[in-house]
Amino acid sequence: MHIKYESFVREPLVNGDKTYHQVTEDIIGPIEKKPGRMWYIGFFFSVALLCFGIFSVTWAVYWGLGTWGVNRTIGWGWDITNFVWWVGIGHAGTLISAILLLFRQGWRTGVNRAAEAMTIFAVMCAGQFPIFHMGRVWDGFFVLPYPNTRGPLWPNFNSPLLWDVFAISTYFTVSLLFWYSGLIPDFATIRDRAKTKFRKLAYGVASFGWTGSVKNWQRHEALALVLAGLSTPLVLSVHTIVSFDFATSVIPGWHTTIFPPYFVAGAIFSGFAMVNTLLVISRKILHLEDYITIGHLEAMNKVIVLTGSIVGVAYLTELFIAWYSGAYGEQQAFKWRIMGPYWWSYWAMMTCNVVSPQLFWVKKLRRNIPFTFIMSIVVNIGMWFERFVIIVTSLYRDWIPGSWAYYSPTWPEVGFYLGTFGLFFTCYFLFAKYFPIVAVAEIKFVLKTSGDNYKRGMETIEAQSEEDFIHEVETHHAHA
Amino acid sequence: MNDRFEIPASLKRTSMALILIGIITLVAGAITLLGSADIHDKTRFWVILLQNSVYFLLITVVSIFIQAAAALAQGSWIVAYRRVPEAIGANVWVFSLIAVVVMFLIVFTFNINGHNPVYPWVNPAGDKILEGKSSFLNPKMFVGFTLVTVILWSFFGRKFRSLSLAQENAPKNSTKIYWQFFRLAGVFLLVYALTQMSTTPWFWTMSTQPHWYSTMFSWYTFASAFVSGMSVILLWVVYLKNQGNLELVTKEHMHDLGKFMFAFSIFWTYLWFDQYMLIWYSNQPEETVYFKLRQQGSYSVLFYANIVINFVMPILILMTRPSKRNYFTVTFMAMIIIFGHWVDFYQAIIPGPLGSHWHLGWYEMGTFALFVGILIFTVSRTLASASLVPKNNILLKESIVHLS
Repeated sequence: MHIKYESFVREPLVNGDKTYHQVTEDIIGPIEKKPGRMWYIGFFFSVALLCFGIFSVTWAVYWGLGTWGVNRTIGWGWDITNFVWWVGIGHAGTLISAILLLFRQGWRTGVNRAAEAMTIFAVMCAGQFPIFHMGRVWDGFFVLPYPNTRGPLWPNFNSPLLWDVFAISTYFTVSLLFWYSGLIPDFATIRDRAKTKFRKLAYGVASFGWTGSVKNWQRHEALALVLAGLSTPLVLSVHTIVSFDFATSVIPGWHTTIFPPYFVAGAIFSGFAMVNTLLVISRKILHLEDYITIGHLEAMNKVIVLTGSIVGVAYLTELFIAWYSGAYGEQQAFKWRIMGPYWWSYWAMMTCNVVSPQLFWVKKLRRNIPFTFIMSIVVNIGMWFERFVIIVTSLYRDWIPGSWAYYSPTWPEVGFYLGTFGLFFTCYFLFAKYFPIVAVAEIKFVLKTSGDNYKRGMETIEAQSEEDFIHEVETHHAHA
Repeated sequence: MNDRFEIPASLKRTSMALILIGIITLVAGAITLLGSADIHDKTRFWVILLQNSVYFLLITVVSIFIQAAAALAQGSWIVAYRRVPEAIGANVWVFSLIAVVVMFLIVFTFNINGHNPVYPWVNPAGDKILEGKSSFLNPKMFVGFTLVTVILWSFFGRKFRSLSLAQENAPKNSTKIYWQFFRLAGVFLLVYALTQMSTTPWFWTMSTQPHWYSTMFSWYTFASAFVSGMSVILLWVVYLKNQGNLELVTKEHMHDLGKFMFAFSIFWTYLWFDQYMLIWYSNQPEETVYFKLRQQGSYSVLFYANIVINFVMPILILMTRPSKRNYFTVTFMAMIIIFGHWVDFYQAIIPGPLGSHWHLGWYEMGTFALFVGILIFTVSRTLASASLVPKNNILLKESIVHLS
């Protein structure tokens, strides 16, 4: 066995005197009880929003996309803005579960399960927009490349819009597998504790007959590493390809080479903010403050200030190079962004994404829960405006002044967007009720190194001199 | 524990020999190239010096960056050999000085009939595009940005090392310096974002072809410098281990460095592909001019070699776990990567000023040797001046039991 040691300078990842059993009780317990009143209120409110969304979409499909505010100049409006926004949010989960796993970041264990679930729901919401944006949605299967009865008619493989279809469906599939494979041991735990027959059967089926044998665990961990290796490029590829939707064009404001990495940074930025929004509430309602600690929220906030600053450098680079290029179209596009009729959207983006996250350099604010919650919303407002700025304010001043236009959404567009919130939260409420929102098995894995009570026992190691410690490690290995 | 490094005579001789070769090259270059009547010879003299001084400065600054990044992430993986990046970072001022002298000589003294072949923007008159950029691309701005940049980098490089050394004599388990380092690391990251990640490459390298522009360029330059900078650290760690130092560094630590070389080679490729693909796809002449010069014509061999050396080789050779834990493989790959990204800088900087009149000959190799010699000479002296084990470091014990 390896010596279990972690420096005192790190705060514990699990607070309180926890044993393995207590961890199970704390996290699985809420699933076995009836949900509280807040859950029912939230759930039914979400379902209501979802129903309104379905109504709005049905309306648009029945009457046609003329019911939306988009016009000939501004062909992409709220629909694509919302698509990019949701897909961006859907980046945090896989980043946390894959890249932070490869980086051996222990704190991911507290937040990864909820973040992965959020990723999946967000990608589901995102997918609705391009589908219904097609208008004649019953012809949607045309995007699938299969030997067909339409003669030589194939999707345009040169189009980044088609690459999106592949990128997002792959991402969704792998994220789902990753999330589900992590859930298997936890489902087995619920099954083994189940008091009712139905619960035992349902969780038994869901856990694929997990026995917890050494072989089970070996394969489980090997699978996690393989999926992490597969997902790491996917974290980058999805938003890279979404950025190609714009950057491969010759439209000033869209065509710029920095788009791919900057979209990825922005996606992580908004995804982490959404994770914070959900976790601040979930930890409170489900009493999981010992597992999702202020330290976890602080780590998330550090990533937010980092990615917010990366995005800030990209905004300023874009702005500078638009001037530096000497290209008239580029210079005008940015002039109209900043000072045109949509000036407020540019400045909302700058304020929410670049300026306000800088407050997270202050440790007190990083660890302040109400502030974290407010900032998590502010960031996602900013990221929504970023996509709105990129899409609408690059299009509305066309090459020909005669086609300059303005755009406002109509009620079915707004209803569609609200409906995706309904879908998202309906799924999240069901998830929080039936699934352990913190990965029980993974918490147990870090407990003896990073648990509060275990760390208190490491004081003797801290007091040791380095030579003695090295000696102990060596003898420890010799006996092992 | 063998925690002191004494510079072996052989290493000293090697570095002196490399520096001597470099100085002879420089003198010979000054006579035959700078003294030549041919414009391209004169330009070659300066632009090769520019490429090497910028490349070596940027890859040594990476050592400061990785210390800052590890401090902010509270990473203990680097602590066992942190004296290496510290020693490289503490010598950033040397490479800064060289780069500043080279660049200022180019800006202020290189003039052929009112034209500066390396930095054409020095004399913008008559060129409408350059006139439009002249409020940014002008000698005053260049000098101002450059000086502020290198002074800040040099300061942080020395400060980080002195703080880390001060921890040795601090009270046991005192976290005062740890958190001071943490805060300074945050400040350095901001400095780095506003220099290396944005303005610096615009001035120093992108402006050798000043009509062309790409928003990706600075991040691309960063990726290239970062993966080479990590390789330089790895080479020093392997060397010191071979000398019987750094006993606390195990295969687990080597594996980490191998992962960095592997992952960031792919990251570099990702940025390379994005920049190339978007410019190719939209096919606008003011942007494609950059790749047309490199991909079609006399540079095409370097253009493809760049991808093979910096992408195909790392991804195939460093993919498996055993290869990242094998001293020979990682050492070999570190050298390949350092050379490969030197070529990458070459193909970014040289084609603008020299066009098809390029050479990879005695002058290029000799200048490279000069900088390698200076790197070995200065860093080994710094390494020898203090303990190689960062005793009393808060995270040292974690680094001892570190698993990759």
